[in-house]
Amino acid sequence: MNIAVCIKQTPDTETRIKLTEAKTVDESDINFILNPYDEFAVEEALKLREKFDGEVTVISLGPDRVNSAIRSALAMGADKAVRIKAENIPTDPNVTAGALATELQKGNYDLIFLGKQAIDDDHAQMPALLGAKLGIPAISVVVKLEVEGDKLTAEREIDGAHEIIECSLPAVIGAQRGLNEPRYASLKGIMKAKKIQINEIDAELSADQLQVVEFNYPPEKSPGKIVGDSADAVPELLRLLHEEAKVI
Amino acid sequence: MSDKTKPSFSKALFSGVLLDELVFPYPEMEAEEAEDLKMMQDTFKKFAEDNIDSEKIDENSKIPDEVLNSLKELGFMGLSVPEEYGGFGLSATAYTKMFELFGGVDPSLAITLGAHQSIGYKALVLYGNEAQKKKYLPKLSSGEMLAAYCLTEPGAGSDAAGIQTRAIRDDKNGVYILNGSKIWITNGGIADFFTVFAKEEIIDKNGEKKDKISAFLVTRDMGGVTSGKEENKLGLKGSSTTEVFFEDVKVPIENLLGERGKGFKIAMNVLNNGRLGLAGGSIGALKVLLKEALGHISQRKQFKKTLSEFEMIKEKVAQITIDLFATESMIYLTSGLVDSGEVDYSLESAMCKVRATEISWIGLNECLQMVGGLGFMKEYPYQRYLRDGRINMIFEGTNEILRMFTALAGIQERGQVLRKIGTALKEPIKGYGVLTDYAAEWIKGRISTERIQDVHKSLSTAKVQFETWAKNLHFSAERALMHNGKKIIYREMIQKRLADAATDLYAMIAVISRVDSLITKKGEEKAANEINMCTIFCDQAWRRVRRNLLMVDSNNDKGMSKLSDFIVEEKKYPFEA
Ligand SMILES: Cc1cc2nc3c(=O)[nH]c(=O)nc-3n(C[C@H](O)[C@H](O)[C@H](O)COP(=O)(O)OP(=O)(O)OC[C@H]3O[C@@H](n4cnc5c(N)ncnc54)[C@H](O)[C@@H]3O)c2cc1C
Ligand SMILES: Cc1cc2nc3c(=O)[nH]c(=O)nc-3n(C[C@H](O)[C@H](O)[C@H](O)COP(=O)(O)OP(=O)(O)OC[C@H]3O[C@@H](n4cnc5c(N)ncnc54)[C@H](O)[C@@H]3O)c2cc1C
Repeated sequence: MNIAVCIKQTPDTETRIKLTEAKTVDESDINFILNPYDEFAVEEALKLREKFDGEVTVISLGPDRVNSAIRSALAMGADKAVRIKAENIPTDPNVTAGALATELQKGNYDLIFLGKQAIDDDHAQMPALLGAKLGIPAISVVVKLEVEGDKLTAEREIDGAHEIIECSLPAVIGAQRGLNEPRYASLKGIMKAKKIQINEIDAELSADQLQVVEFNYPPEKSPGKIVGDSADAVPELLRLLHEEAKVI
Repeated sequence: MSDKTKPSFSKALFSGVLLDELVFPYPEMEAEEAEDLKMMQDTFKKFAEDNIDSEKIDENSKIPDEVLNSLKELGFMGLSVPEEYGGFGLSATAYTKMFELFGGVDPSLAITLGAHQSIGYKALVLYGNEAQKKKYLPKLSSGEMLAAYCLTEPGAGSDAAGIQTRAIRDDKNGVYILNGSKIWITNGGIADFFTVFAKEEIIDKNGEKKDKISAFLVTRDMGGVTSGKEENKLGLKGSSTTEVFFEDVKVPIENLLGERGKGFKIAMNVLNNGRLGLAGGSIGALKVLLKEALGHISQRKQFKKTLSEFEMIKEKVAQITIDLFATESMIYLTSGLVDSGEVDYSLESAMCKVRATEISWIGLNECLQMVGGLGFMKEYPYQRYLRDGRINMIFEGTNEILRMFTALAGIQERGQVLRKIGTALKEPIKGYGVLTDYAAEWIKGRISTERIQDVHKSLSTAKVQFETWAKNLHFSAERALMHNGKKIIYREMIQKRLADAATDLYAMIAVISRVDSLITKKGEEKAANEINMCTIFCDQAWRRVRRNLLMVDSNNDKGMSKLSDFIVEEKKYPFEA
């Protein structure tokens, strides 16, 4: 089975984002990681490779720094890697999707995985955009996947229910938490990943149709309140949760 | 391992020579290794978050087998095994950083991993022959075998040269017969591979029989190796600590490690190496507990203010931070020296161990203090980190012994000049450390230099403080030697002051070098916090140095000794109010 996984490098969830004076994100102290949802995508691809044989290729778009996210995926066990060189990761998901689709078309992939969304810009558009551009089915927010012959059955989470969908391969799958337990990159995997050459390619990106005007910090959260520290405080706590916080 | 050819920065310091080329610029990890390290750290962090429950480990006095097995599979048992034997051959710097992480996540686990690879199989890596390495290292690296380091005995702790475990060579059968018992052996209950130090009778060059220590690679399957019950300890409860008994164990002669009679040197050099990992683990623990305490003090209100607004709390936070920064600077300067190869770092690693374990102990205690009564409660981690951290000042060389080593090895350089004293000085050190002569030779060729290279102007005060007190350390050491002659070996209170002064000076130069390199890289503005820390630390440090050095000449040592002798004689506190 020939599988591609499109991955994105994102800031660590614990990063405290700082803005520059020009109201752009200051990247200098950011700890970048592999987008957590993409870990589920990589894991699922590896599991299918273990079952059916074949190859897993990871593809990412972005500047040099993105290579470290690629290495993380290789260290988990992916076989090959492509980086589409770009000065920045575009704001407009459509631009990224265009470049990825061009690359994916070269590969004759049976399955294309990606995380259901990236935790930085949260667009959650990539599975659908890729499906549309490649003219193949796309299913996202997938929590369970079964592949048999040239058919797959995917289970999606929807509000209050699970939806079960069938389609034929090739297809695009957007991975949701719960799809699997991503493996840890072993030290052997990390050393092996170092020896794999990342295929860096140039690409023409289409023009961004979206532009970020500025970033702003979210309004400061008001500090927590300690109502009391014994059972006596429960009624007051309930009242506040109901009347002030309006969560129950 | 060849004897290192370049001298130690700190030994030269005692002699009034500032080998600034050894400590500037501040060492930096190569980009590729830094990337590997980050991935390894990420793997461990993720694994730990999902699988390691330190409270349970402490409660059950055991690290679950599944945790150890997963760590084996992931490769964490082979960090210091060279790649050609199936390991990952980390540099000293990367290795120490890994232990910083382990020590922060769970000290019991850190010590289990450390006893295995910092000391358990380290002697094999350093001194093993090809056949020995081929036979054991792959299994040790994969964790198929766990290792332990067996030096301490009931009658021989600090005075490790006094061990009684005996090896009798039987050439006819090609074996050594090993008998004896070791006490408080980390991993004693779970290891299959033991680096054992034992005495054997050797005929020296004059044809006389002499007992000398040799090192042996012993495996449990040789038969006759048994472990005692698990000790019930104050801390590090998840780690295995037992007696290990050797009863007529037949150790093949090919399992002799290194040369016959050179075991003590092997034992000490392994510890020199291991001390950096322990130092790293100690500051790792403090970093984690500080984070925990910060969460509390920035929420908790008293007197209508958050605790973090009070000056006495600020002082604690700042002091812990400065001590961490300075100690970290020493540790990674030293690991950089180790990685550069061919430098004598025995003094520096001893100083790092002493300083790191002590600032960690004090800092952990202050973290507990900052959170008040809550810190005393079992359901919070403060008490556990404190219990776990206590042993660090005792094992891998007690801090008293390491201070003696630092001072005597330092002044021994000067003693060389006064021939006889030099020889006399070597005697006691033999009991707990290994000395080398070459540095004295090397230093002879250098004129004493009173200045170090230029640093950024924002650090110029710190630089002058360092230079001034470095010179004074030299003078004080010289005077102590002149006044006391050979008796300096018994003047431990003076040794302690010299050692502490040298440690502060080493910390100062480490901080200055680190911040200077940082300014070069990032500019003054972006290094503002670091410059502030350097300024404060060096100001605090030179005052300590001054006090220690003044007290080399003017002190109450006689009165203190006399009083102690009296109290020991009385066997109790005899005064009544
Ligand atoms: C949890 C734990 C794990 C351990 N793991 C290992 C292991 O894996 N392998 C191993 O071989 N050993 C191990 N040890 C043993 C450890 O290394 C020794 O406890 C240590 O060397 C100190 O020896 P001791 O306890 O006999 O104390 P002693 O040597 O009796 O010392 C008692 C006190 O006297 C001081 N003292 C001794 N001599 C002098 C002197 N000349 N001047 C001033 N003060 C002096 C010491 O500093 C100390 O404060 C472990 C110990 C513990 C508690
Ligand atoms: C085992 C135990 C037994 C106890 N027994 C009793 C008892 O019998 N009866 C009873 O009434 N109480 C008892 N206590 C409570 C004890 O008196 C409190 O824990 C203590 O007063 C500290 O209060 P706190 O724990 O709320 O800490 P906090 O008041 O939150 O203080 C936390 C830290 O902040 C520091 N701090 C607070 N304010 C300032 C300030 N303005 N400037 C600088 N630093 C500041 C404190 O010194 C401390 O280090 C007990 C507590 C324990 C743990």
